[in-house]
Amino acid sequence: MKYLALALLFSTSLMAASPEVVQYMKELESVAKTENRTFNGFDAVRGKEIFTSTHTGKQGKPMACTSCHSLNLANPGKNSLTGKVIDPLSPRANPQRLTSAKEVKKWLKRNFMDVYAREGTAQEKGDVLTYIMKN
Amino acid sequence: MKTLLNLSVAALILAGGVYLYADDDHEEGEHHRSSVVAKPLSKQDQVSAALYKKECSSCHMAYQPSLLPKRSWDKTMNTLDNHFGTDATLDPSDHKTIQNYLASYASKNDRLVDMKGAVALRISETPYFVRKHREVTKKMVTQPQVKSFANCNACHTKAESGSYREREISIPNYGRWED
Ligand code: HEC
Ligand code: HEC
Ligand code: HEC
Repeated sequence: MKYLALALLFSTSLMAASPEVVQYMKELESVAKTENRTFNGFDAVRGKEIFTSTHTGKQGKPMACTSCHSLNLANPGKNSLTGKVIDPLSPRANPQRLTSAKEVKKWLKRNFMDVYAREGTAQEKGDVLTYIMKN
Repeated sequence: MKTLLNLSVAALILAGGVYLYADDDHEEGEHHRSSVVAKPLSKQDQVSAALYKKECSSCHMAYQPSLLPKRSWDKTMNTLDNHFGTDATLDPSDHKTIQNYLASYASKNDRLVDMKGAVALRISETPYFVRKHREVTKKMVTQPQVKSFANCNACHTKAESGSYREREISIPNYGRWED
């Protein structure tokens, strides 16, 4: 029992997300498997591409996740639409990040709409979260 | 626990600001009396105010509900999927709580007279606002440190607590406002 708790503690700190968000990632994983037969686990490299590439956003203009969040996730960003400063996205730099599944779901839905003009797939969401956790 | 505490303090400030502002507005033209004791809020309203403050301040400051009438807030709440070009959608339960909260504390004066029946989404397009800001130049507003009139707190240093008194105004690169 003690070992289990320790192992859990270790794995969550390694993943830099709360158990709640880790659970959400597991749900994304099972959806990703049904949507993509060749799915073979989330990938931070694909996540980075999702995060840094530019797309035609909701307003029909070029947008990227990095329009608002900084390229170096440990630094604060700035909302390109309102100018408001955004605290760092990296859970290492900002321990509040990736602690609430409700927050993560809400923002991924909004932010994918803003940048990709559609909701992200389960695989895309998992990939980008994996990337954020590693940075 | 600490965040919970912070939230309820924020709720009190927010609600207090609402009354302060409402009083100021009543005295349109003469804003000398602005020290008003905030009415205590019910438990439920404190929770709603804290939720409003959290959810509606992530992209800009949380505007005081008394800055717009109910029909403006309803229009905003019914179009959050395309909120000034961004997606600001909420989960259904939070959505309902915030919409009710805004409706209860909305301005009772009709701030939209002279709009020929149009319902303003922006505070900054209401006739009251336009009148108050007619001496503010375009350059003051469009400079990067302000960006738009939506950033009340760029010029009104106490805007987040609901206070818009002239002596608290400081415009970036221009300084204090003297008549
Ligand atoms: C228009 C500006 C904007 C864009 C573009 C944007 N975000 Fe965000 N994002 C925000 C804001 C604002 C928040 C909430 C700020 C806060 O909590 O301090 C946020 C929060 C988040 C969170 C929540 C983290 C947490 O647990 O608190 C995640 C994850 C996230 N964004 C990922 C993304 C991804 C992935 C993209 C690209 C698909 C993206 N963002 C694009 C503005 C943006
Ligand atoms: C995802 C980001 C985001 C969230 C969340 C958000 N807003 Fe906004 N809001 C904006 C943007 C962008 C603007 C336009 C800013 C500009 O013109 O400079 C805006 C403008 C406004 C304005 C007009 C200000 C003016 O007078 O010019 C109001 C009123 C407003 N929002 C209300 C709300 C309410 C109420 C909520 C909570 C339900 C909310 N907003 C949540 C992004 C957001
Ligand atoms: C570019 C700076 C700037 C921004 C942004 C701005 N204001 Fe103002 N505001 C002023 C100035 C300057 C005055 C005083 C004008 C005068 O006396 O001629 C003023 C006056 C006011 C007054 C009247 C105060 C009084 O005592 O008569 C109110 C209320 C007010 N603003 C609310 C707001 C709100 C709400 C917002 C955001 C939606 C906002 N302002 C955004 C500069 C600004």
